[in-house]
Amino acid sequence: MKKPNPLIRNFCIIAHIDHGKSTLADRIMELTGQVSERDMEDQLLDSMDIERERGITIKLTPVRMFYSADDGNEYIFNLIDTPGHVDFTYEVSRSLAACEGALLVVDASQGIEAQTLANVYLALENDLEILPVINKIDLPSARPDEAKKEIEDVIGLDASYAPLVSAKEGLNIKEILEDIVRYFPAPSGDLDAPLKALIFDSYYDNYKGVILFVRVKDGSVKKGDRIKTFRSDKVYEVTEVGVFAPGLYEKSGLFAGEVGYIAASIKSIQDVAVGDTVTFADEPAAEPLPGYKKVQPVVFCGIYPLDGSKFNDLKEALIKLRLNDASLVFEPDNSVALGFGFRCGFLGLLHMEIIQERIEREFSLDIITTAPSVSYKVVKTDGSELFVDNPSHLPPQSEIDHMEEPIVKVDIYSPPDYLGPIMDLCREKRGVFKEMTYLEANRVQLIYEMPLNEIIFEFFDAVKSRTRGYASFDYELIGYSASKLVKLDILLNGEACDALSMIVHEDSAYSRGRTLCENLKEAIPRQLFEIPVQAAIGGKIIARETVKAMRKDVLAKCYGGDITRKKKLLEKQKEGKKRMRTIGSVEVPSEVFMQILKTNKD
Amino acid sequence: MAGIYVHIPFCKSKCSYCDFTSFPDKLCFAESYMACVYREMSFRRKELKDYSFDTLYIGGGTPSVIDESYIGMLIASARKNFNLAKNAEITIELNPGTVTADKIDFYKKCGVNRFSVGLQSAIDSQLEDIGRMHTAADFLECARLLKGENFNADVLIGLKGQTAADVLYTIDFAAEAGASHISMYALTPEDGTPIYTDYLNGELPDADEVAALYQAGFNRLKELGFIRYEVSNFCKRGKESRHNLNYWRRGEYIGFGVSASSCIKNVRFTNTFDLDEYFKCIFTEHLPVINSEEVDEEGQKFEYIMLALRTAEGLDAHEYKKLFGVDFFEEHKAALKKVGRYLDTEGDSVKIKDEYLFVQNSIIIEFLEN
Repeated sequence: MKKPNPLIRNFCIIAHIDHGKSTLADRIMELTGQVSERDMEDQLLDSMDIERERGITIKLTPVRMFYSADDGNEYIFNLIDTPGHVDFTYEVSRSLAACEGALLVVDASQGIEAQTLANVYLALENDLEILPVINKIDLPSARPDEAKKEIEDVIGLDASYAPLVSAKEGLNIKEILEDIVRYFPAPSGDLDAPLKALIFDSYYDNYKGVILFVRVKDGSVKKGDRIKTFRSDKVYEVTEVGVFAPGLYEKSGLFAGEVGYIAASIKSIQDVAVGDTVTFADEPAAEPLPGYKKVQPVVFCGIYPLDGSKFNDLKEALIKLRLNDASLVFEPDNSVALGFGFRCGFLGLLHMEIIQERIEREFSLDIITTAPSVSYKVVKTDGSELFVDNPSHLPPQSEIDHMEEPIVKVDIYSPPDYLGPIMDLCREKRGVFKEMTYLEANRVQLIYEMPLNEIIFEFFDAVKSRTRGYASFDYELIGYSASKLVKLDILLNGEACDALSMIVHEDSAYSRGRTLCENLKEAIPRQLFEIPVQAAIGGKIIARETVKAMRKDVLAKCYGGDITRKKKLLEKQKEGKKRMRTIGSVEVPSEVFMQILKTNKD
Repeated sequence: MAGIYVHIPFCKSKCSYCDFTSFPDKLCFAESYMACVYREMSFRRKELKDYSFDTLYIGGGTPSVIDESYIGMLIASARKNFNLAKNAEITIELNPGTVTADKIDFYKKCGVNRFSVGLQSAIDSQLEDIGRMHTAADFLECARLLKGENFNADVLIGLKGQTAADVLYTIDFAAEAGASHISMYALTPEDGTPIYTDYLNGELPDADEVAALYQAGFNRLKELGFIRYEVSNFCKRGKESRHNLNYWRRGEYIGFGVSASSCIKNVRFTNTFDLDEYFKCIFTEHLPVINSEEVDEEGQKFEYIMLALRTAEGLDAHEYKKLFGVDFFEEHKAALKKVGRYLDTEGDSVKIKDEYLFVQNSIIIEFLEN
């Protein structure tokens, strides 16, 4: 058995959104000379526009660096940047599996934040060494000692040696690099064993085919090797291997302990799922590496092209997005109101938003999205069962014996001060109290069982706002339970709009119906005729609002000099109409389909 | 049929809603300016030699603030350079309080046969509020001087605090004073005008209230025997403004002076809005045109529809076919299916139903190609 290169350190950074993770990554790259100052762009690893704009990391991004440590050795650092939001835990778990250590970045003035915890626990589960780093010590409000104490109290990590840094000012960054060398273990594994490489991400390159992001655990791989994965029998010949610098940088081989990429003219992503293990076709390893927890989409919504003829473009976009986001699922769907589109499944609401935004930006497609939903189990009177995540696919009421909705176990972690508000919220959201445990003096774990559909209705925001951001929560599906669910239909000018239907609990149907009608009344522009907006359950009207007929829509004057200008105004008005869908005779702005939920107050 | 427009960019003071090119402090340049307008006309003489014009409209600004002799020379210059019909409609805009009996007599001598008076409101507090320099009584005096003449009174709706009763009072006032034509405009708060602030502060009547004022005004005008021939224009039988009808029939017109626009042979062009720039161009023997755009056939069709549907007369499908060689009903089948119920169609005539004339944009844009 031959050990991997002891001078390699594979690590990631865990931080709450806005605690300076990407900036710290920038500084580390700068200090290791990975990026010259000339090429330095802020938040280098967040290459997607959305990431830069929102200041968040969505995709993990690996990069390799060299560091000449004080001990005289030159170390190889592989940094894998990871997302911070709870919806992207899946992405995080993937990058963690490729590392031996994690930097835990904590804002010196804000202390540890809830979301960070989930990722810290994930890292501990993966046996990662964790090094706390106190960032933003340049701020006047910095309280590094309190932050340290918090880390010790809340997580139970020794934070006495945590470096105090300012990523923004470039202060004490070197200390972190020395600590990485000192505290993070070198990779384990066996260079002589048959190849075992964990695929932690992939994307499609037009020239090279699928590019696999791998962490080599055992053995080595080079150009010309014949490889396969455990889940498929297809054999590929490696055309290129290399590392991330941070762009692709070809090397002669990848060895145990290293992080890099493999290209093998792979045409179909289906055969090389993320989480799978790459091995040699002719001399395979005995068993695969443990993969990741398989994720199930929990939130669903319809995505339709605004321009019906762009259906194939939308399909293409979704396929490309799935290449590096295996958690996205979709199938074709069609709606009377919206035409042909896709029913898509996501890991959470933020994930859904991000995908929608990426479709619009990266593929320049205008889309319409419907309200998010969960997957319900419908037991029909003839005893058969089916799952329905699209309200408009629900069988007629007369054929339904009963319906069951997904129930999740929700773990909420919070300082004790906020228990009252959290419990109130859980009760409002039909939660059933299960357990409360004091994990530490300052941290309580609450366990509730709750319908998933209540969680997708702004639960996340409510938890955050009621606890000033201190509480965090995680949920897992535990099963289905019978529930009094009804389909709430929306009628515009007397015609049901399938894209606006939703499945709700009977008890909240009236209030939700009312809110929906009120919201729609605000969102639908006045037209030439009066439009009744109604909510109905099985033909019974439960709420009504009216969009009054428009009374003035005219250009008062129109003489010689005005004609061109007026023509342009009308063209603009016409352009605005393009973003509308006609339902029956009513024109509905495309944003309405999504907004309805957002404006819904809890 | 073609028209001539001349812009006189001077006034005593700027009204708070005014978005036109007008300089209250530059009256001293009037003489040079008018000389330039005459010169500009001569630049166009050759190009327009085959045209016969049957309207001349002198607008502003306030054309009545400059000495009437300039107006005389202006009309003479128009006649000298262009074929202006003997019975041409010659209109001048006036503001109450800027005219005298002599002035009006002189205008008439020069051939002016139509007057347009900026009344706006017959309620002094409202006039003051929008920065008008005159009172309701000034209007009466002006109307007295115009007795027996064909004159229009402008009436604004949508003023701050204006009620339907105020609108009716103003209309009665104008009609009683002898106006044969009333233009009833909804105030349009343009960005950059003082009144825009009132608009942003929500102090002006909202769209529904303006619609109600319009409806009230419309009913009263009808009772008084005024016929609506365009969405904002009402007149006694036979007193339509020929100059404005020409715009709505997509006729050709040539404009002179700052900010004046023209449409000749499907090219729309506009003069500079800057007075100095205008002088500079004319003195260096250049046309003061700053932009010019050829309207393609699709644009021509839409303009034709957009303008025709403003009028009570509506659109003439027979003429449409003559102009564009296509059948209107066939070409706009989809739009007609969608908004047909808001239109009155009789033979070749298509017009927006009376009750929908004030929400016409939503109807008209259906005829705009994608």
